[in-house]
Amino acid sequence: MNRPCPEMQDKVADYVLGALDSEQTEALEKHLGGCEACRQYAQSLQHEAQSLVALGRRLDADMEARRDRVIEALQDMSPVQTETRRLFPPVGGFLRMSIAAVLVLGAGVMIGRATAPRPVDVEQLRADLQASVVAALKPAVQESVLTEVDRRLESGLAANEASLRSELAEQLRGDLQLFATQFTTGSDRRMDKRFAEFAQLIEGARLKDRQQVARALDRMEQSRARDKAQFGMGLQSVAALTAKATPAIQH
Amino acid sequence: MDERSDKELAWASQQEDRTAYAVLVQRHYKPVFLVSLGVLGNIHDAEDAAQDAMIKGFECVRQLRDGSQFGGWIVAIARNLSINLLRKRKTAAKAPALDVPSEPEKTEPSHEGLQQAVARLPLDLRLPLVMYYFDGQDVKTVAEKLAISTSGVYGKLRTAIKELHEVLTAQGDTP
Repeated sequence: MNRPCPEMQDKVADYVLGALDSEQTEALEKHLGGCEACRQYAQSLQHEAQSLVALGRRLDADMEARRDRVIEALQDMSPVQTETRRLFPPVGGFLRMSIAAVLVLGAGVMIGRATAPRPVDVEQLRADLQASVVAALKPAVQESVLTEVDRRLESGLAANEASLRSELAEQLRGDLQLFATQFTTGSDRRMDKRFAEFAQLIEGARLKDRQQVARALDRMEQSRARDKAQFGMGLQSVAALTAKATPAIQH
Repeated sequence: MDERSDKELAWASQQEDRTAYAVLVQRHYKPVFLVSLGVLGNIHDAEDAAQDAMIKGFECVRQLRDGSQFGGWIVAIARNLSINLLRKRKTAAKAPALDVPSEPEKTEPSHEGLQQAVARLPLDLRLPLVMYYFDGQDVKTVAEKLAISTSGVYGKLRTAIKELHEVLTAQGDTP
């Protein structure tokens, strides 16, 4: 058999696959009409494709028998076989979830025990809390510190130490409230002092202004008196000159 | 015929219900077998791989969270098992056995010769060929299952039938 045209082989394969449009199909069929090698090549590919489909059908016909053999093999498997190939014993969904929850909780408890700050050093805790209070803003002082205390107490003390926890919490709350009050009072005092200083400064400035205004008024008054005196003296001079000149005119 | 959904059957299988699992096998055996055949290129190996995949599926069905995905899940198991088997086989013997007695003057390739030729195709050509011709899937479905474009599938099928013809010609299995 002659070799098909190399440039036509892909087109022939696409033709067999049905991937050509009508125009391409027409052009190819025209070529096949005049090229024996390509025509034979197309026929071979077509036969092979049909054989593949036929083989697929044959495989399909035997499929049920194969499937039944698999099902039989599965039914024949003893529970022991499936158990030994399984890592964990079979448990239902709820039971598995329960076991998982217990494991997670257990791990959490172990980690908590390992990392919890026990026993609680009250002095250290108080020092830490005071430092955090100082660093906090004034309005948030009480709230944030009490939250911190609660959190530390929650993590640091076990549930069966309720009385100690309560006592410690009460003591710390009292201390913190006192501290916060002192902190607030101190802040108020400082603020009042600042206001007093500020008022004093303002008062001093006002006094200085008033003195300057008074001095200016004095200067103005003196200047006015001086001007008045000079004016009076001027009037006297004019009167004297007028008196001398009057008899000469009368004569 | 069992009317239960795959999800219900998978859930029952998770409770060790073999009858429920048998229904799943009946529903999904064909794609499992064909993907094994597509990878291995040999019916007997494909039968073994498909059976192993189904057994493994039964053992691991508890790991399947969404039972409605059983079909894709079991096919993926079969494909992975078959690829592993193919690797082992290639390690054991470089070239697949092709001791097929030539049958001269045949007008159509024999099924055995055709199977041999399919087995000699590279995996990336063999799998779409099997899905398209043996399982009758259209090009779009093959493209979706192999996560490639339809033009990519056409390209692979085109190359596959050309190479298949070359192999069959060399075997003397084609007119």
